[in-house]
Amino acid sequence: MGYIELNVLNNETSPQAMGIDLGTTNSLAATWKDGRPVVIKPEQAGNGSIPSVIHVAEDGTVLVGRQARDKAMVDPRHTIFSIKRFMGRGIADVQEELKSFPFPVTEDENGVIQVQAHGKAYTPQELSSLILMRVHDLACRSMGGAEIQRAVITVPAYFDDTQRQATRDAARLAGIDVLRIINEPTAASLAYGLDQSAAGTIAVYDLGGGTFDISLLSIEEGVFSVLSTNGDTHLGGDDFDRALAGLAMEGLAEQLSPEELNDPGLHQAARLAGEKCKMELSTRPEADLHVVLPESGVHFRRRVTIEEFDELVAPLVERTLDSCRQALADAELEPSDISEVVMVGGSTRMPCVQAAVENFFGRLPHTELNPDEVVALGAAIQAHILIGGSRDLLLMDVTPLSLGLETVGGAVSKIIARNSTIPCSATEGFTTYADNQTGIEFNILQGERELAKDCRSLGQFKLTGIPPMPAGLARVAVRFHVDADGILTVSSREESTGAKASISITPKNGLTDEAVEKMLADSLTNAREDFEAGRNVGLVAELGTMIRATNKSLPDVEEHLDLETLADIREAIEASQAASAAKVLDGKELQRVRDLLERATMPLAAVLMDGVAKKALAGKSLRDV
Amino acid sequence: MQTCPECQSSLSTPLVCLDCHALLPQTPGQTPSPFDALGVELGWRVEGKALKKQLLKLSRAVHPDFFATADEATRNRAEDASALLNSAFETLKDDFKRADWLVKVLGGPSDSEERQMPRAFLMQVMEWNEVLDDARSAAQGSAEWNAVAELESELATEREARFSAIAKQLDPLPAKGAGDLAPVRQELNAVRYIDRTQAEVKQLKLQATLGPKS
Repeated sequence: MGYIELNVLNNETSPQAMGIDLGTTNSLAATWKDGRPVVIKPEQAGNGSIPSVIHVAEDGTVLVGRQARDKAMVDPRHTIFSIKRFMGRGIADVQEELKSFPFPVTEDENGVIQVQAHGKAYTPQELSSLILMRVHDLACRSMGGAEIQRAVITVPAYFDDTQRQATRDAARLAGIDVLRIINEPTAASLAYGLDQSAAGTIAVYDLGGGTFDISLLSIEEGVFSVLSTNGDTHLGGDDFDRALAGLAMEGLAEQLSPEELNDPGLHQAARLAGEKCKMELSTRPEADLHVVLPESGVHFRRRVTIEEFDELVAPLVERTLDSCRQALADAELEPSDISEVVMVGGSTRMPCVQAAVENFFGRLPHTELNPDEVVALGAAIQAHILIGGSRDLLLMDVTPLSLGLETVGGAVSKIIARNSTIPCSATEGFTTYADNQTGIEFNILQGERELAKDCRSLGQFKLTGIPPMPAGLARVAVRFHVDADGILTVSSREESTGAKASISITPKNGLTDEAVEKMLADSLTNAREDFEAGRNVGLVAELGTMIRATNKSLPDVEEHLDLETLADIREAIEASQAASAAKVLDGKELQRVRDLLERATMPLAAVLMDGVAKKALAGKSLRDV
Repeated sequence: MQTCPECQSSLSTPLVCLDCHALLPQTPGQTPSPFDALGVELGWRVEGKALKKQLLKLSRAVHPDFFATADEATRNRAEDASALLNSAFETLKDDFKRADWLVKVLGGPSDSEERQMPRAFLMQVMEWNEVLDDARSAAQGSAEWNAVAELESELATEREARFSAIAKQLDPLPAKGAGDLAPVRQELNAVRYIDRTQAEVKQLKLQATLGPKS
């Protein structure tokens, strides 16, 4: 059925870049419009946020976003959540995540995770690219089919080189031209315009669905530096839902047998009830915890007061404050040194969280903007700057971790210190230790620890093509450059002869350039096809819903519609049914008939709205209205 | 002073022309000095605030953010120029790094060629080590422990003294090859020692605060 467009986008000023918050739980895009950043809200995704969820069906059809999350209820064994946690990591790093992961996971020779879904292997980069494609595609479509290829993508401040590289590769695979990778807390500060203040220390408290991050930033004349970050990669809104679900399960234990209590469907229903109750408690002093499972005759209702809830989740809130304490200690700061506190993530809507944060830092946190949107909004501001829309602001971020080289004996020799403003570069001299040696190999590390084994290896770098000469005579200058995205590139030259030594890099847990190129060349077409197939399935489902809704309401309002409108509706329904039933689904045709049906049913929707309004007003005197 | 190959106006830095905003090509292997890059006068004395102002002014002309949609060669030039500015700023704003750079450039000894510290300083080092050793095994609040606070302020004063000694030798700047720079290197070695001792004190205090908890 037709939607009434309330938020008509003005197509006159075509924005040319977007900001994308690629989140663990949800992702969304924003752009610059009429002098300010706005979240792009495709009608398929009410509030603009798209679940970072992927469903892979037995036949290889891939669904992304809302449709994939809906599948989680009926087909959890093929639904992938939290792929962000796998970006740039090896199997050893994600043991916790693998416990609830639906597909078998292997690792290739470079330590890149391969998700084995129905006979096909997907890297986290490819899976993330599917999410990015979905976000990007919906955003472009909702802006009247604009082709916006350029985007700023956000990552957590603590993301290391490999994780940033993986994010950039995912965007490349999605066909997005990455203008810049920026840090989420920096983006949030930008959204609040904190770059305008002359100087200060900002705490960004980010409590999302499944992760908690605290970042302390300093700002000085437009330069943002990350002072410290801390957090808990397994603490978020979901834990608050689970606490309430636990309360429901306790109550249900009195009604049900142990077998019935073990039903996964019941647990899922209890969790959803917990989520709903939690959200209601953000705006009301009490709410119902309501679990209904008609097929098993389960009906449970319990009233929860805000006081009861606050007490229940106090240990969770306290855990976030522990991280804040640690972050402050690392930066050698006291809570009173913080001049601004910014709230990010949907879970910061909870009054108990806001109160705890206010109490801890001794100042009112910023909550004026939608906490789900601030990161995307900040990214859109940066995107606007990058395409030349403004020169007022210059964001200078820093590298979160030190870069170093493994030396003899397994120690680390630092090349670029953490918190160096990016872009930055350093040149290190190497020489040969044997006569006529033509190659040198070294291990590049990221981290703050003294020993190589305690730092993260970015990979093995191999220098070849050094002209043969006696030991110690060759002088090879290797240049390490961390670019404005925080990503390392290495280049080298032999200085005594000027020969350009070539360097090959075998990244650990990351894709080589050649691998990305190859994926782009062959599997991108597949990914695109898979993606289109998924989108077509989604469109067919949407058409089905629209047709059912139209058929249901048509008899009630038929008398109010003219014959032409009725004919249009019938014609559109027929066309929709034909397109949905086609042996080979045609995406363009599906989109066309969907738009056709939407337009045809517009008058029907208007009559219905009118009817609803009349009904609501019926029997009321004007004074009550 | 050089002139801009594009618009012939005189340049305050070899990286960029502030008049026509052209990013200027650099000769490989010939990196401009941090003083040249930031367009400040070569010498021991630098003014922190002015330095920062210069960094921001030049960054607004060369930062890759302002060339994000340019061709790859221009983007690389912006990356390089910006990196150079950032490292020049790091070198110049830090007294130790600036002195170290000046000693090297004036032909003085590196820290591996001159490992000595000033003689009088060595006596103090021994005293400090004793204080630290005693504090490590002492309880919080004891006299040994309280001596650490005294040590801390002593270290800070000593660090300042070292730098005034360095300033005496580097301001005005001796000509290249003239004057003996080994004493400056020795002072710098002492500063490095003080920094390490300060880090140890910090570590000791941190362990004390975290100790009862963990």
